Amino acid sequence: MTALAWFELIVSGLITGGVYALVGLGLNLQYGLMRILNIAHGEFLMLGAFLTWAAATGWGWSPLLMIPVSFVLLMALGVALHRLTFRRIARTSPDLDVFEARGLMVSFGLMFLVQNFAHATWGADLRGYDYLTEPVVLPGGAQFAGNKLLLLGLSLAIAALLIVVLRLTLWGKGVRALMQSPTGAQLVGMDTERLHPLMFGAGLGLSGVAGCLLSTAYTITPSMGEPYTVTALIVITLGGFGHMGGALFGGLALGVVEALGMHFTNPSLKSLLSYAVFIAALLCKPDGLFNRRP
Amino acid sequence: MRVSRSDPWPQRLRERLTGWLLDTRGMGRDLWVLFALTGWALAVPHYGSEFAVSMALSCLMYVALSTSWTLFCGSTRYLSLATSAFFGIGAYAGALTLEQLDWFGVVALGAGCAAAVAVVMGSAVLHLRGTYFAVLTFGMTELIRHAVTYWEKKVTGTVGRVLTAVPERDTVYLTVAGLALAALAVSLVARRTRFGLALQGIGADEQRAMTLGVNTRLVKVLGFALTAAFAGAVGAAMSVRWTYIDPATVFNPFIGFQTVLIALIGGVATLWGPAIAAIVFSLLAETLRLQAPQAYLMALGLLLILCVLFLPGGLASMRWARLRQWRDDLRGWWRERDDKARRAARRARQARYGVGP
Amino acid sequence: MTDPLHHPLPRRRVVQALAGSAAGVALAGMPALVRANSPVRIGYTMARTGPWSVGAQVSQEPNYLLWAEQTNAAGGLDVKGTRRPVELLASDDQSNLETCVRTYEKLMGSDKVDLVLPPWGSNANFAVAPLANRYGYPFLAPTALSRRLVEMKLPYFFLLLQQPKPMMEALVDMLRSQGAKSLATIYVDDLFGLENYAALKVALQGSGIQLVEDKSYPLGVKDLAPVLRGIKDRNPDAFVGLTYPPDTILASRQSKEIGFNPKFFYASVGTAFQLYRNVMKEGAEGVLGMGSWNGKSSAAAKAYFDAHVKKFGAAKEPDRWASGHCWAGLEILSAAVAKVGLDRKAIRDFVAAGTHRTIVGDIRFQGSENVGVPGTVSQWQKGEFEVVWPKSRATAALAPAKPAW
Repeated sequence: MTALAWFELIVSGLITGGVYALVGLGLNLQYGLMRILNIAHGEFLMLGAFLTWAAATGWGWSPLLMIPVSFVLLMALGVALHRLTFRRIARTSPDLDVFEARGLMVSFGLMFLVQNFAHATWGADLRGYDYLTEPVVLPGGAQFAGNKLLLLGLSLAIAALLIVVLRLTLWGKGVRALMQSPTGAQLVGMDTERLHPLMFGAGLGLSGVAGCLLSTAYTITPSMGEPYTVTALIVITLGGFGHMGGALFGGLALGVVEALGMHFTNPSLKSLLSYAVFIAALLCKPDGLFNRRP
Repeated sequence: MRVSRSDPWPQRLRERLTGWLLDTRGMGRDLWVLFALTGWALAVPHYGSEFAVSMALSCLMYVALSTSWTLFCGSTRYLSLATSAFFGIGAYAGALTLEQLDWFGVVALGAGCAAAVAVVMGSAVLHLRGTYFAVLTFGMTELIRHAVTYWEKKVTGTVGRVLTAVPERDTVYLTVAGLALAALAVSLVARRTRFGLALQGIGADEQRAMTLGVNTRLVKVLGFALTAAFAGAVGAAMSVRWTYIDPATVFNPFIGFQTVLIALIGGVATLWGPAIAAIVFSLLAETLRLQAPQAYLMALGLLLILCVLFLPGGLASMRWARLRQWRDDLRGWWRERDDKARRAARRARQARYGVGP
Repeated sequence: MTDPLHHPLPRRRVVQALAGSAAGVALAGMPALVRANSPVRIGYTMARTGPWSVGAQVSQEPNYLLWAEQTNAAGGLDVKGTRRPVELLASDDQSNLETCVRTYEKLMGSDKVDLVLPPWGSNANFAVAPLANRYGYPFLAPTALSRRLVEMKLPYFFLLLQQPKPMMEALVDMLRSQGAKSLATIYVDDLFGLENYAALKVALQGSGIQLVEDKSYPLGVKDLAPVLRGIKDRNPDAFVGLTYPPDTILASRQSKEIGFNPKFFYASVGTAFQLYRNVMKEGAEGVLGMGSWNGKSSAAAKAYFDAHVKKFGAAKEPDRWASGHCWAGLEILSAAVAKVGLDRKAIRDFVAAGTHRTIVGDIRFQGSENVGVPGTVSQWQKGEFEVVWPKSRATAALAPAKPAW
C-alpha cells in the first residue's frame, strides 16, 4: 500500500476518532466526577444532530452557528435534568453503589424517553442536509470531503480546549479536585451544589456539539444515538474513568484501529473486535489502561 | 428434627416436605395465588379467542423473563442486562436442533446452553460490581450477537435459520405458561431456603456474607445460571413463532431492556411485583399500540424514572402509609411555599413603609 | 245484477295482490341486497413506526390506501358481478415480529376477515406466511425476497419481486455486453446481501468479468470510506453494492467524497426511491440499480403513477421497483375476486394457474416464484429511473458510462 493510501486511511480513522473522543469526554465528565453512568448520552447527541438539521433546513442557519447554540441548549437541558432527577437520588441514596445503580436506571429511563420522543416528533426517516460536501484535495493528493476535515479540526479543537480549561483555570482545577476526592474538595470550599449540575450539563453539551458536527457529514435518524453511547463507554473504559487525556487518546486510537481493521479485514469484524477489546479491557484492567490513580 | 418417630405420620410427612423451608409465613397465600394463576393460564386456550391466547402468551413470556431476572438480580442487586443474550442463545440452540430432538428436548437444550454460557460468563465477571457489571453484561450480549453473526456467515454461509418443524400453537402456549409458572414457583420457594437467604445477604452486604461463611462465588454463579436457563428456555419456545430467526431479531437488546424495566417498576424485592407489572405492561402495550405506539415506550421510560425517584421499591412496595406520606410531603411543601411567599411580602412592605406591623 | 261468483277481481284486490307480491319479491331479494352492500373486509398490519417504516411507507402502504380509494370510487370491488365496498382493517406493527404474528392470528382466526394483505419485509413475511397458509388465505407479497421463502413451498404464498438469481444474471449480462472486465462488490450482512452475493458469484462464472474485491459489512455501518478507498485503488470497471437504502446513500456519498468513479456504479435497494434523487441530486445521473418499471412502461403504469402522485403529492412518488409490484399484486387480487368471488381457495388457484396482465408486465407463478417478470436493471437518466436492461423491456437506452459525481 502506498504512503498516500496509508495517510488517507489514518486520517479517516482520526476523523471518526475525533467524534468518539468528544462523546467520550462528555461521558467521562459525568462518570468521573459524579459517578453517573449516563446510558442516554447518545440520545442527546441525536438531539443535537436533529436540532442542527432543523435549523439548517428550516431557517438556513449554518451548522457552525449551531455549535455554540446546541452546546448552550443541551447544557441547560442537562442542568435541568440533574436538578430534577440526579440531585434527588444523590440525597436519598444510602451509599455510592446504590446511587450508581439508581443513576443507571434513571438514565435508562431517559434513553427510552428521549429516543421515542424524537421518533414521535420527527419520524423514522433518514434525514440529512448538505454542508461543504465538495471534496478537498490536500497537498500530496489525498482527497477528503470538506465537512469531514472540518469535523476533525473542530472536534480536536474542542477536546483540546476542554483539557486546557481543566488543567489551567482555577475552576477546572476545582473540577479535577472534586474528581480526586469529593470530601476533600468540599472541605476546601468547592461548591458541589453548583458544580455538579454544571458539569453534568457540560457533558451533555459536549455530546450535543458532537451531534451537531456529525449531522454535517452523515445522515441522521432517531436511533443513531445508541452506537455512540456504546463507543463512548468503550472509550472511557480504555482511557480510564475520569481521565480526560486518556479519553481523548482512547477515542482517536479506537477510530484509527477501526479504520485499519475495516480495510484489512472486513467491516463485519469491526464490531466484534471493538466489543472484544472492550470486554478484555474491563476484565483485565477495570481502572482503565491509562489510569495512574492508585 | 422437630418431630420424632412416635408422632403421627401426617406430621412427619409435613416435616419432611417443608422442614427445610426456613420461613413458611405467607407461603400459603402465595401458593393459593399461584394455583389461581395456573388455572387461569390453562383455561385461556380452551375458552379464549385466538387473540386472547396470543395476548396471554405475550404476558406469560414477560412474566417468565422478569420473574427469573428478579430471582437473581433482585436479591443480589447485580443489574444484569444479559437477558437478550440468553434468550438468543436459547433460540439458536433450539433452531439448530428442531429437526433432531423432540419439543421437550429442544426447550431443555435451550435452557442448558444458556445456563452453560452463564456459568462461563459469571465466573469471569461476577467479581465486579455495580455499573461495571451492568455495562459488561451489555457488552457481552453484543459480543455474542456479533460473534454468532460472523460465525454463521463464515462457517455455515447463511445468516438466519428457517424453522420448519414448528409445533402446534397450543404446545408453545403451554410451554411458555409452564415456564412462567415454574419461574414463579422456584422464586416462591427459593426465597425461603438457604440459597435465597444467601442471595439476599449478598445483596445487602457481600463482604459480611463472605465472613459469615457464604460461598458467594458459587451462589452467584448458580443464581446467574438459573436466570439464564429460564431466559434460554423461553427463547427456544418463542422463536418458533417467527419461523425465521436471525441474530438481529433474537439478540435484540430491547427484550433485555424491557425485562429489566418491568422488573424494576414492579419491585425487585418482591415475588409478585414483576409478574403483575409484566401483565399490566403487556396489556398496556397492546392498547397503546393501536392509538399511540411511541407513547407506550415513552411512558415506560418516564415511569421508570418516577419509580426510581419516588418509589425505589417498585410498585409492589406501594402501601397506604406511602400514599399518606406523599400527601403529607405535598402539603408540607405547599405550606412552605406559602410561608415563604408571605414572609417575602412582609419584608417588602417593611422595606417600603419602614418598620411596622 | 252481476254474479258475485263470477265477478271479476275488484281493482282493490288486484292492487293488494300486486303490492303483496312486490313486497314478497323485495323481501326475498333483501338478503341479496344486504349482502351486496356489506363491505369486503381486508386486514393487514404495516410498519408505521420503527426501522421498517421507511420502506413500508414508500413502497407498500400508500398503494393499499390508493387501491382501496380507487376501488370504492368506482363503486366498490367487483365480487363476481356484484360491487361491494372495500373496508381496510389496518394497524401498526411497530416493526415487531411478535406484534405481526399476533395481529394476523387475530385477523384470520378471530375476526375472520375476507382477505389479508401482507406486511413489509422478508422477516415479517417469513413469520406470517406459514400462518396464512394454515388459515388458507392467499398472500401476494411485494417486499419479500428470499430463496428460502420459495423453498418453503407454501401453496398460498406468492412472491411478486424477482429473485436474486434473475436480477444478478441480468446485471452481469448487461455488464458483459458493455465490455466490463472487472467488478468489485460490497454486500450487507443479511439474508438479502448474502443471497444476492451468492447469485452474483454464480452469474460471474464464465462471464469473463473478474471479481477483484468483495467485502461484507454489518447492518447499520457508519463509515464505508476505508473499504471504498481500497476498492478505488483496485480500479474496477464496475462497482456493485448489494445494500439497503441507508447504506446505498452512504456508499454513494462517500464514493463522491473520495473521488471513486467507476464506469458502472450499481446499488441494489434504495436507488429506486425518489429519496435517492433528492439526496444525490445531479450525482444520481448514471447510477444503476434494481428497478423494473416507471411511468413510461405502459399506459396503465402512467395512470397508476399519476394517481399516486395526485393522492400523496409530488414529494411522494411511488418507487420504481417494489411499489409497482405491489400495485401489480393488487391488480391480480382484484381480477381474481372479480372472476371467482371470495372463495379463498378458488382465488389461490386462479392466481397460481394463470398469466396476469399487470403494470409491470405479465406475471406468471411457478410455485411461489414470479417467473413472468425477468431480471431487470434500471438507471437514473435526467431525473427519471429508466429501465435499461433487458432491451425488450427498456424504457430508455443504456448510457454507457457514469459521469463523475
